Amino acid sequence: MKKSLPYILLAPALIFTIFVLVYPLLQNLINSFRDVSLIESSDGWVGLKNYLKVLQDDVFWLSFKNTALYSVLGTVLSLSFGLGIALLLNMKIGKINNVYKFLFTIPWVVSPVVAGFAWKWILNDNFGLINYWLISLGIINEGITWLGSAGTALICVIVARVWQFFPFAMVMFFAGLQTIPREQYEAAEVDGASTLSKFLHITLPNLSSVTSVLLLLGMIWSFNDFNMVFVMTRGGPINASMVLPVLVREYSFVHFDLGKGSALSILTFAILISLSFVYLKILHKKEQI
Amino acid sequence: MKRLLLICSILLLLVALIFSCGGDSNIAKVQFWSFGGMPTMMKWAKERVETFNQQHDSIKVIQGQKSWNMIRELLYTNFSAGTGPNVMRVHANYAAEFGEAGYFYPINRFPDFDSVKAWYQPNLLESCRYKDNYYGLPGTAIAFILACNKEMFDKEGLKPPKTWSEFRAAAKQLTKDIDGDGSIDQWGLVLLGGDRGGFSYRLAPFIYKAGGTFLSDDLNNVTFNNPTSIKALQLFVDMFQKDKSITPGFLAYTMSEINDLFCSNKVAMRIEGPWINCVVQDRSPGKEFYTVPIPVPDDRINQYDTAPTLQDMIMISISAHSKYLNEAWEFAKYLRNNEADMEWIRQDMGGFPTTLNAINSTEEKPFPDFDVFAHELQYAKPWPAHPKMISIVRNVIAPYCQKAIIGELSAEQAWEKAAKEAQDIIED
Repeated sequence: MKKSLPYILLAPALIFTIFVLVYPLLQNLINSFRDVSLIESSDGWVGLKNYLKVLQDDVFWLSFKNTALYSVLGTVLSLSFGLGIALLLNMKIGKINNVYKFLFTIPWVVSPVVAGFAWKWILNDNFGLINYWLISLGIINEGITWLGSAGTALICVIVARVWQFFPFAMVMFFAGLQTIPREQYEAAEVDGASTLSKFLHITLPNLSSVTSVLLLLGMIWSFNDFNMVFVMTRGGPINASMVLPVLVREYSFVHFDLGKGSALSILTFAILISLSFVYLKILHKKEQI
Repeated sequence: MKRLLLICSILLLLVALIFSCGGDSNIAKVQFWSFGGMPTMMKWAKERVETFNQQHDSIKVIQGQKSWNMIRELLYTNFSAGTGPNVMRVHANYAAEFGEAGYFYPINRFPDFDSVKAWYQPNLLESCRYKDNYYGLPGTAIAFILACNKEMFDKEGLKPPKTWSEFRAAAKQLTKDIDGDGSIDQWGLVLLGGDRGGFSYRLAPFIYKAGGTFLSDDLNNVTFNNPTSIKALQLFVDMFQKDKSITPGFLAYTMSEINDLFCSNKVAMRIEGPWINCVVQDRSPGKEFYTVPIPVPDDRINQYDTAPTLQDMIMISISAHSKYLNEAWEFAKYLRNNEADMEWIRQDMGGFPTTLNAINSTEEKPFPDFDVFAHELQYAKPWPAHPKMISIVRNVIAPYCQKAIIGELSAEQAWEKAAKEAQDIIED
């Protein structure tokens, strides 16, 4: 009884996990090899046809490129910005620090849907704040069509993504900065190290584990981010800001081709797993060195 | 004591569970889903459901309000899972798609259908037909018109346009730099670019007015890659690229942005349906505008009064898998009978009545621009009744035409590419 008790106690959680995670994933995998349409009768197994259809679709490649840009730029910029703010907050300039900490975490706690709508209005070409400020400052003569132009729509959603993700990076970096021993900085100062040198040789190496976690999480979360893009642009104009999660919805619930939608989601899953695997391998090697 | 309390709680829970599961098995519970609609319509529908429930002891209608943008998603996912509503308010052009899929019940199978059929204006009822079956009762008729901002038109001394030349010239004249800062801040026309379906619905009236078609009569061939459609699309291409009279950011606009632009006098014209007054008054009470037919090509001015615009329709359909077909039919009739439809001329519910009784009524009609909509609806044409048409409209016509307007493709290339893709979809 004593031996089996942990298994019994774990069973509900395990059953729940299988039901909500493993079963849908397996069903999705099966669907990706079948012709599953909500509109028409199913033709059954189609082998790799759904995957080929996805890979032959120009929109997929455009979305892949956009998703990569969205994830890489979104994560790198969030981390850079988050680190910068964390360093400033770490300078301990008094009680005002707590006010800033609170203010900077606001974007993180706002729902992505609310944030998306807010950004949509901030970027509105006629009534938006950004254009109003830019025109008032004389930087531009007429409102820029931020979300209505293929050249700027993706940049705008990346900016919104950075705005939402940087507070998380900031909190993590700030926590990491608190753990760096003061002695290391004091020793460096005795040796006459410059501020930049201290940052490069003490701060950054000490934050490497936090950075690794943030990079991995940021990439995965950005790669899977549906809300921000869907609310702000729905992947438009004319697919200019289309990303893979939104395209999965397009295939599945606009074209009602669940087979193709499943194939794309499995491909996305495979890309993410591969990226995570490669990244963790590199990290593991680094740690060994 | 503790054990006793626990046993009592469990017993109480069980009793509550048994009672909640039991219910009254003699009552037919009819789920009614209403998608979108103006606040006045929603209020009216709610009251109608309540009075129906009061009058029918054995039927209980349960109303659910759903998002207009999610009709197909919600219905397909629910129907394919064997759930969903018994009665629903949906687009009439879903008759072909959902009728073909076997999700809508052919209401002509009800024995009293012929007498019910006589209530409606015939061409409106026909919009609910696919092949030999009718898949819904006409709920709200829609004709697409041109709304012209009265204040802006009057200021320029302009009259609402009747021909494409007048339309283009008016838009150009109304596009200007109002505050004198050297940049344009007022435009002639706005298009709904952020909603692919909505975009095509606003382009199609121009194609119909020019005599164009989308599919052949037998519905087997795409016909929109022709000079008429190219000419219609070219009109918008020129207005956007040469005249700059269409708002530059239209590709991102949804209804709320368009309404803000129109109501704040930043845009002079928009292409809409009978909901226009509701949405404008909701945003800017007292705002005036002209409601006129969609302009025709210059060489068809003699057909200005008879050329068709796009007709759309909201119908009341019944799920083919409904357990309570007869009860659902009773409710559908109650929702759309002569008496109910009279309310649609007494107040502005964002749609046009469909019964002959209401349309031909001599009663005063406070519904704004009733005559314009009534006239346009006599000649208006719906989308071809093909099961794939909605997909083609949303996923093929809209993106290619948008590409043409912003200059990524020529009008000719856009229609050619769209036609090829649409033909593949039809033949698939």
